Amino acid sequence: MTSPLLDVCSLKTYFFTPRGLIKAIGGIDFSIGLGRTLALVGESGCGKSMTALSILRLVPEPGKIVEGTISFAGEDLLRLPPTEMRRIRGNQIAMIFQEPMTSLNPVFTVKRQIGEVLELHRGLHGQEQEEEAAALLQQVGIPDARKRLASYPHQLSGGMRQRVVIAMALAGHPQLLIADEPTTALDVTIQAQILELLGELRRSRGMSMLLISHDLGVVAETADRVAIMYAGLIMEAADVAPLFNQPLHPYTRGLLACIPRLGEERQRLVPIPDQVTNAMQYSDGCPFAPRCHEVMHQCREYLPPLQEVAPNHQVRCWKAL
Amino acid sequence: MNPLLSVRNLTKSFAAAQGPLGGKEQRFRAVDNISFDLAPGETLGLVGESGCGKSTTGRLILRLLEADSGAVFFHGEDLVPMGQKELRPRRRQMQMIFQDPFSSLNPRCKIGDIVAEPLLIHGLATSATVKNLVIELLATVGLGSDILDRYPHEFSGGQRQRIGIARALAVKPELIIADEPVSALDLSIQAQVINLLDDIQQQFGLTYLFISHDLSVVEHLCKRVAVMYLGRIIEIAPAIELYRAPFHPYTEALLQAVPRPIPGRQHKRILLQGEIPSPLFPPAGCHFHPRCIYARPVCRELSPVLVEHAPTRFAACHFAGEFSRNLS
Repeated sequence: MTSPLLDVCSLKTYFFTPRGLIKAIGGIDFSIGLGRTLALVGESGCGKSMTALSILRLVPEPGKIVEGTISFAGEDLLRLPPTEMRRIRGNQIAMIFQEPMTSLNPVFTVKRQIGEVLELHRGLHGQEQEEEAAALLQQVGIPDARKRLASYPHQLSGGMRQRVVIAMALAGHPQLLIADEPTTALDVTIQAQILELLGELRRSRGMSMLLISHDLGVVAETADRVAIMYAGLIMEAADVAPLFNQPLHPYTRGLLACIPRLGEERQRLVPIPDQVTNAMQYSDGCPFAPRCHEVMHQCREYLPPLQEVAPNHQVRCWKAL
Repeated sequence: MNPLLSVRNLTKSFAAAQGPLGGKEQRFRAVDNISFDLAPGETLGLVGESGCGKSTTGRLILRLLEADSGAVFFHGEDLVPMGQKELRPRRRQMQMIFQDPFSSLNPRCKIGDIVAEPLLIHGLATSATVKNLVIELLATVGLGSDILDRYPHEFSGGQRQRIGIARALAVKPELIIADEPVSALDLSIQAQVINLLDDIQQQFGLTYLFISHDLSVVEHLCKRVAVMYLGRIIEIAPAIELYRAPFHPYTEALLQAVPRPIPGRQHKRILLQGEIPSPLFPPAGCHFHPRCIYARPVCRELSPVLVEHAPTRFAACHFAGEFSRNLS
């Protein structure tokens, strides 16, 4: 077995706010193999987006990566000097966001924005640059690619903008694409088109992907492996089929039970009670304990470790051990 | 049974933003001649993609927007020509729940006052009795009386949505128009609010118009479903039948596009080509024909009308009867 493309080890990212310490990521481990897709799943504030920003070393103030290693193609990203890190960002690791307008500059044409990436990361200029930009737009399924190069972002629909952002991300031939809720802002028929496109690109380029999503349907159709996050920790990680078919953590089971499913007999939903505890109020125990209906005495006292309970299936729960 | 609400040929157009040099004003029809009925105690889902006119329809019914033409009969009375004074007592019977619980509550008002306000405006309580009523309402939506003196920013999205629901219930409405009420909420909270909407419907005999883009949530909550595309209703049918075997190709494509939480599922999916056309220049004939895999020459010329192809099953497609689409 070859070593994974990305290997994150005991990563901790804390926020030092005037009101106290927030452990946005409280020590997580995961890896992504070549050409594989890992989905990070969780509700708002669980630390999934912060994980992506940590990998790119773009954690905003007052946040800081306080511990851990992030090895990418054998190099520890956290030890690289800033200039080296800039070479990797957008080149070997690219990221796309939920709202395409956040990554597009409204006053520049598509040609100029893709051109900038091609110039910085691939050293292309002039005619060559334009050819490559048009080729990229064509690859992401934009009709009339050459004409579209002259468009400004506001002249494009939401789906087209997301395609442009994907084209920009691909411009540097990344080995790893981080996609943070890439289809959440899109209509369902356009979402289906973008997911199809991402799948094709991954297959044809052998690209690995870190998908961040709260949509269990998108995850089931896209990911090879899934990690469920809660309050900055991974609660369960497994390949996609066992995770959906034999979920072991009460939180995973709760998430799967509380979504209405298309085409299934109508039953009352089983919600997870209460809401996520304030990040500053975590005690020493399991952060899910206050909402867990299988909670035991020790859950409130000690944090369970993430342990392998079946081949490639890890769970952080005292009940599962 | 007489319908509680009957919408007839409702139409609303908006002016598109003009360029800096002005020019001829362009108008587009956000809601284009739609009609439907809502029986007492029923839940009708109104689904479609962004810009299809579903939210505008909700606002037209409540007269938060004025219609260009058409009628909205509530208990048999047309609301469209009514003056504000006539409208007010009817407004009490129709309430709205909004998508964004962060912008629909006044950040400077205490929770107790937010829920009390409609009771006092409509004369349903006096300053002496209002507090107990508010506490009762908050209990109905699962909130305690300890929050009366707190402000909206102290609450999470799910709690704020509960407060919005308590405020809507305060005036004992018959009809609730819910515009994407759970779309902004986290999964685990979404399920709590869906169950709450179910419970209060049973408890108070409410009628819902449930506007949403989420087809799974609509299937779960609604008895009947209307699908909109570019301002028109293109299919309306009982939910069970519409989800099992849609009559309109657009409904079929929408349902197939929804990703299912079943890994490895080999699904037959017809990927819809292209995007929703600009409402400023809707395609001639059937609005859907440029994206429709079943389109024939007549679809480019003749706009299909919404007709009953089977009992209770309406669709606006020239070939609705021909393509029996079974998705299960």
